[in-house]
Amino acid sequence: MARPVLDESAPPLEVSGLEVEISGTAILHGADLRIDRGELVAVVGPNGAGKSTLARSAAGLQKHAAGEVRWMGQDVRRLRGRALARIRAFVPQRPRVPAGVTVRDAVRIGRSAHIGPLQRATHSDRDAVERAMERAGVTRFAERMLTTLSGGELQRVQIAVGLAQEAPVLMADEPTSHLDLGATVSVARLLRRLANDGLAVFLVVHDLALAAAVADKVVVMSRGRSVAAGPPADVLVRERLADVWDVDAELDTGSLGQTALRVAWLGDENDRRGTAG
Amino acid sequence: MVARRALVVAALLVALLASIGASLALGAIDIPFSQVVDVMTGGGEEGPAKQILLQLRLPRTVDAILVGAALGVAGAMLQGALANPLASPDVIGVTAGAGFGAVLILLAFPGSIALLPVGALAFGLLAATIVFVVAWIGPDGGGVGRLILAGIAIAALFAAGTTGLMTAYPDRVQSAVFFLAGGLVSDGWEEMRAIWPYFAVGFAIAVCLIRPLDRLALGDDVAASLGTRPRLIRLTAGASAALLAAASAAIAGLLGFLGLVVPHVVRMAGGTASHGFVVPVSALGGAALLVAGDTLARTAKPPLELPVGPFMVVIGVPMFLWLLRKAV
Repeated sequence: MARPVLDESAPPLEVSGLEVEISGTAILHGADLRIDRGELVAVVGPNGAGKSTLARSAAGLQKHAAGEVRWMGQDVRRLRGRALARIRAFVPQRPRVPAGVTVRDAVRIGRSAHIGPLQRATHSDRDAVERAMERAGVTRFAERMLTTLSGGELQRVQIAVGLAQEAPVLMADEPTSHLDLGATVSVARLLRRLANDGLAVFLVVHDLALAAAVADKVVVMSRGRSVAAGPPADVLVRERLADVWDVDAELDTGSLGQTALRVAWLGDENDRRGTAG
Repeated sequence: MVARRALVVAALLVALLASIGASLALGAIDIPFSQVVDVMTGGGEEGPAKQILLQLRLPRTVDAILVGAALGVAGAMLQGALANPLASPDVIGVTAGAGFGAVLILLAFPGSIALLPVGALAFGLLAATIVFVVAWIGPDGGGVGRLILAGIAIAALFAAGTTGLMTAYPDRVQSAVFFLAGGLVSDGWEEMRAIWPYFAVGFAIAVCLIRPLDRLALGDDVAASLGTRPRLIRLTAGASAALLAAASAAIAGLLGFLGLVVPHVVRMAGGTASHGFVVPVSALGGAALLVAGDTLARTAKPPLELPVGPFMVVIGVPMFLWLLRKAV
């Protein structure tokens, strides 16, 4: 089989009309997405909207029934295994945390797509591992076991595993979903910095305020479809939040890049209680 | 870290060499060590001692080295592939299948005792094959949970068959006890000549799986995103373990305990779960443990030969518990 040709000038990832079925149930029916170099795209949407399925399917981890996924202009179905691993890194939602594995061991595993089955790691592979740990800020605890790390540290290590692939695209599925505020900020800054350095970052995220703060573009998923895409301020408007999430909420952006989501948590019920009292 | 691993390897190498020496020198007749060295290096005077060494003790020692190494590697393969510390050749049905095959020959066809290794091997592989087929079909095919459940069910089936045979031929049960307890015999190279290709293929697959198993340690998604196919890796690791464990059972009966414990000891002692360390060092450790155990079993109460299975457990369990205490 001829080696698939990658087009360096094509967008790193382009998804159009994607449809995915899992065990006979349609999960995605019409998702579109495009990501460019140096761009951080956040995929947002309610639970069950198909965000993770979109990420997994785009990453080539889940077969699609119809539509197209193109990595640097090439159909994902023609890219297998290690070739794909050199184009995109994928940080899953709940990675396993094995015992007896140090941070450096784990990041080395991330490098394996560059090392043939019968080859040994070269100088440049070892440098790539050190560089990935440096960028993700995990060098300080490189010799510690994964099992001894905090959630935030662990997530940065998972990103370092992805960075060791030296792929132009980094995909992360809800990397902050179970982190505290401080750890969330540190991961968010890391991802933003990576995009500023020229990486294309594909982020699946729940937190709309976070998405609005870090993303160049958000893609809103609703019931298996992408229903809107664009700059956060244009897309995450009150009507759409009401439409897609069924809430009365508004995005607030400060002059220093702070974001907040103002939510009418108790909705009408609150009003009623207010008037009754 | 590196120094600690080097120390573990060095200690195991010394233990293996010492137990090989003891295994060759000691027995019903003790042979001076200098004479052992002479004979092994191609010299030595002709006589009964040389015959005992070359025709009885050397093949038995080689059997012990191979079987010990094979069971250590089989355990490392399964624990890595199934991401489960309880995994051992028992889990994929090999042990129960091999036990049934051996007992079938011993009890139902006592005239064809020469077929015992073949019976153990064939039924061990058959049981593993059924487990993999069952685990592969249906939703979540190839998943860890499905594989382990299928293994337990099929193992129960073959164990019931073994019990059934023993009930049907109560007068012949005695002959099966040695096999079920696990033990080596001194009967030359005959069995190994038929069985070695299974060991060779099992070891060769294991070597190829060292890096893929490391990737699997970070979870199926990470492994898949790195271009490894998790289910294929689990299948081939299972095949390697099935070959090694069934071949081992054909030579030395049921010694499943070794496959469970050795990789754990290696991981705890070396402080790493990296398969580049765990797989080869489990081979080394398994070989050392089985050669030492077999030598003890032969020399503890001469001229009686006790089965090595229980003896190895006696050596292995205290060591295991001591390490477990430190391992948190």
